[in-house]
Amino acid sequence: MTTMVSADTLDISFPEVDYLALAPLLIVFGAACVGILLEAFLPRTRRYSAQLVLSVVGLVAALVTIVMNVGEDRPAFAMSDGSRVDAIVIDGPGLFLMGAIVAMGVIAVLLIAERRVSAGGAFVAHAAVAADSKADAAQARHPGATEVFPLTMFAIGGMMLFCVAGDLLTMFIALEAFSLPLYLLCGLARRRRLLSQEAAMKYFLLGAFASAFFIYGVALLYGYAGSVQLVDINAAIAASGNSQVLLLSGLAMLAVGLLFKAAAVPFHVWTPDVYTGAPTPVTALMAACTKVAAIGGLLRVFNVAFGNSGNPGGPSLAWDWRPILIAIAIATMVIGAILAVTQTDIKRLLAYSSIANAGYLLVGVIALGQALGATLFYLVAYGFTVLAAFAVVTLVRDSQGEATHLSRWAGLAKRSPRFAVIFTLLMLAFAGIPLTSGFAAKFAVFSSALEAGQTSLVIVGVLSSVILAFPYLKVVVLLWLSQPVEDAPAVSMPGFMTGTAVTVGVVFTVLLGLAPQVLLNIVDGAGQFLAK
Amino acid sequence: MTPTYYLVLAAALFTIGAVGVLVRRNAIVVFMCVELMLNAANLTLVTFSRINGTLDGQIMSFFVMVVAAAEVVIGLAIIMSIYRSRRSASVDDANLLKY
Amino acid sequence: MNLLADALASGTVTTGEAVTFWILAPIALGGAIGMVLARSAVHSALLLACTMLSLGVLYMLQSGPFIGFVQIIVYTGAIMMLFLFVIMLVGRDSRDSLLETLRGQRLAAIGLGIGMALLLCTGLARGIGSVTAVGLDEANANGNVQGIAADLFTKYVFAFEVTSALLITAAVGAMLLAHVERRKGDRPGQKELSRLRFRKGNYPGPKAGPGVFATSDSVATPALLPDGTESERSISPVVPVRELTPAEAAPKGTDGGKRK
Repeated sequence: MTTMVSADTLDISFPEVDYLALAPLLIVFGAACVGILLEAFLPRTRRYSAQLVLSVVGLVAALVTIVMNVGEDRPAFAMSDGSRVDAIVIDGPGLFLMGAIVAMGVIAVLLIAERRVSAGGAFVAHAAVAADSKADAAQARHPGATEVFPLTMFAIGGMMLFCVAGDLLTMFIALEAFSLPLYLLCGLARRRRLLSQEAAMKYFLLGAFASAFFIYGVALLYGYAGSVQLVDINAAIAASGNSQVLLLSGLAMLAVGLLFKAAAVPFHVWTPDVYTGAPTPVTALMAACTKVAAIGGLLRVFNVAFGNSGNPGGPSLAWDWRPILIAIAIATMVIGAILAVTQTDIKRLLAYSSIANAGYLLVGVIALGQALGATLFYLVAYGFTVLAAFAVVTLVRDSQGEATHLSRWAGLAKRSPRFAVIFTLLMLAFAGIPLTSGFAAKFAVFSSALEAGQTSLVIVGVLSSVILAFPYLKVVVLLWLSQPVEDAPAVSMPGFMTGTAVTVGVVFTVLLGLAPQVLLNIVDGAGQFLAK
Repeated sequence: MTPTYYLVLAAALFTIGAVGVLVRRNAIVVFMCVELMLNAANLTLVTFSRINGTLDGQIMSFFVMVVAAAEVVIGLAIIMSIYRSRRSASVDDANLLKY
Repeated sequence: MNLLADALASGTVTTGEAVTFWILAPIALGGAIGMVLARSAVHSALLLACTMLSLGVLYMLQSGPFIGFVQIIVYTGAIMMLFLFVIMLVGRDSRDSLLETLRGQRLAAIGLGIGMALLLCTGLARGIGSVTAVGLDEANANGNVQGIAADLFTKYVFAFEVTSALLITAAVGAMLLAHVERRKGDRPGQKELSRLRFRKGNYPGPKAGPGVFATSDSVATPALLPDGTESERSISPVVPVRELTPAEAAPKGTDGGKRK
C-alpha cells in the first residue's frame, strides 16, 4: 500500500525561464493587468488618457522586445533535467507573427480610442443598462467604457501567445485568452446595441462550440502521441504504434477549431453577422489581428506537427490532410467571393472578403514550407489594408451613426474626393490590382504555391480573385459615378487617431505594392518554424 | 472490459452535445450542450492519461475546467445582457434571439 | 491512506470498476440525452449536473481522485449552479419553441450526429480495441496531487499563469455586462414616490390581502371588496386563480351565524 508522501520530499525544480524571450508576452499581459488596476483606482475622468497611453506604450515596448529577440530560435523554457518543454517557442516566423499582431494592434487600439469622430467613441458607457431603455437614452451623453482597453490588451496578448505556443494545451489556453475578450468587445457597441449583443452571443456560442471541437481533437492527439507538444506529435507519426484513427480524427477536430477562427468555409457562418454587429474598431481588430493569429496557429500546427517543413526528412502527414484542406480552401475562396458580390452593406462585404482572403491564406498553409514567407507577407499586407478600410468606414456617418449601407455611399466622391481616393486605393488593393500590396501579396502566395505544385489551387484562386474584384470595383463605381442620395451621409474629418490608422494603412498598401522586396526579405530572413 | 469503453462513452457524450447545439434554440441550453462536449473531452483526456501512464491528460482536463469556468461567466453575462434588453425592448422581438 | 486510488489505480480493469462503470455510464448517457430532449431549461441543467457527477466518479475510478473532486466541486458545484442561477433569473418559464427556423435542420443534425457517433465509436473501439493501459501507479507514486503539481508548475507553468488572464477577463466581463451603477439621482426620492402613489388612476390605499372576506384562505383566492366584487389586485399575478371544487367551495360551518 502506498502512503502519501509529504510535500516537502517532493522534488520540483522550476524550469529555467528565458525572460527576454517571454518579454513581449509578459509586457502585453502585464499592461492589461495594470489597466485593470487603473480602472479600479483612477477617477472616471482620468481613465481614458491613462489607459490609452498605457496600451500604446505597452504595445510599443512589446514590439521593441520582439525586435531584440530576432535571430534567436529557442524554446523559452529549459528543464533542469534536460527534457524538452515547448510551451513557448521563439522562432523566426513566431516572432514575425507576434510583431505583426502587435503592430496592427497599435493601430486597432488607436481606432478603439477614437472619440472625435462620434461623441464618446464607438463603445457604450454602461453596458449593463438595458438597450433602448430610458436609462440607455440617458447614457448616450457619457463617454464610452474604458474597460475596453485592458480587454483589447488581453486579446492581443492571447493572439501573440497563440502564434508561439509549442504545445496544444498552451495553444488552447491562448485561444480562449483571445476569444473571451473578443466576445465581450463585440457586445459593447454604442449604437444598434441589440444587434451588437446578438453578434456577441452568436460569436460566443459558435466560438465555444468550435473550441470544444479543438479540445476534443487535442484529447485524441494526446491519446495518439502521449504528449501534446507539436514536435512530439510529429515524431509519433513515424514511431507510434497507435491507431491512425486517433491521429486523423484528432487532426480533423483540431482543424475545425482552427479553421473556425480563420473563418474558412464551412465554419464561416458567424463572420458576416459578427463583423456587422460588432463596433467597427473591434471588427477591424478581428479582421486584422485575429486573422494573423488564426492563420499563424494553422501554419505552426500544420508545418511542425503534421508536416515536416522545419524538419526536412522528418515524418509528414501532408498526404492525408492536404486533399481535405484543398477542398476547404477552394470552397472558402469561391463561396467567399461569390457571396461578396451580392452584399449591400459595406461591413458585410468586407466580412465576405475576409472569408475569401482566408481562402487565399489557406493556399499558403497548404503549400507548407515553401509558401511560409509569402503567407506571412500576405497577412501583413491584408491586415494593414483592412484596418484602413474599416477606419474609413467609421468616418462615413449620418444622424443614425455609421452609414454602412452601400446605397448611402453613392456619389460620395463628389462631396469628399479625398476620402473617395483613399477608399478607392484600398478597394483596388483588395482587388489585387498591380502596384498595390494586394497584388504583391497574391502574387507571392500563388507563385510559391505553384512552386509547391498546387497548380489547381492557384487556378481556382486566380479565378476567385477575379470574381472578388467585381464587388470592390462596384463600390468604386458607386463612389465616383452614381448620383448622391438626398440626405447623403457626411464624411467626418478624422481625428488624429483615425487619421493615423488610415495613413499607416495607405502607406503600407502603397509601399508594399511598389517595393514588396523590403518585407519579402524580412519574411525570408524569418526562416522556418523551429521543429527539432 | 478495457478502458476503451470510457472512450466510447466520451465519444457518445460528445456527439450528443454536438447534436444538442444544433437542434436546441434556447441559448442557455445550447451553452449547456457545449459544456457537455467539454466534459466528454475531459473524460477522453483522463482515460488517455491512464492508458498512456502520464498525468498530462489529467492536468489538461484541469485546465479545461478553468477555461470552462471563465467561459461560463462570460457566456451567461452576455445572455443576461441580451435578456435584459429584449424584455424591455419593443423594437426587435424574439426572432433575433434565435440565431 | 490513498485507498481509493490504490485499489483502482492499476492499468487493468477490476470487476469492481467494471460494475461501477456499467452503473454510471448509462446514468451519464441518459442524463446527456435527457438534457438535449428536456423542454424545460431547469430540467436540462439538473440532468447535465447528473451526468457531470457520474463523470466525476469515473475520473476517480481512473486514478484521478483530484480531478474527480474538482469535477464535482467546481464543475457541478459552481459552474452548474451558476447555470441554474441564471436560468432562474432569466428564463425559467421560457420554453423552447418547436418551430424549425431552417426546414429539415433538426433531422439533418440528428442524422449527422448519429453518423458521427457511429464513426467515432467504432473507430475508437476498433482502433484502440483491447488496449492494455499503462496505468498511473508510477505517475501517482508520490500521490496524485503531488504528481499533478510537479507537472503543472514546470511543464505547464506558463499556461497556468495565462489562465489568470482568463479569470480576470471573466471577472471584468461579468462586471461590465451585469453591474448597473446606480447614481444618487437615479433612485426616486420620497417626493416622487408619493407623487406616484397619488397619481390619477392609482388607488393610494394598501392592497387588500388575499383571502380577506373570502370563503377560502388560499393565497390564490381573490379578496372580496366591501361591495362583494373580487379584487384582482389582491393576488399576485404569478399565482394562477384556482378554480375551487364544489367540495372546497361548500360552506364549512366555520362562519358561524350565516349558516342556514
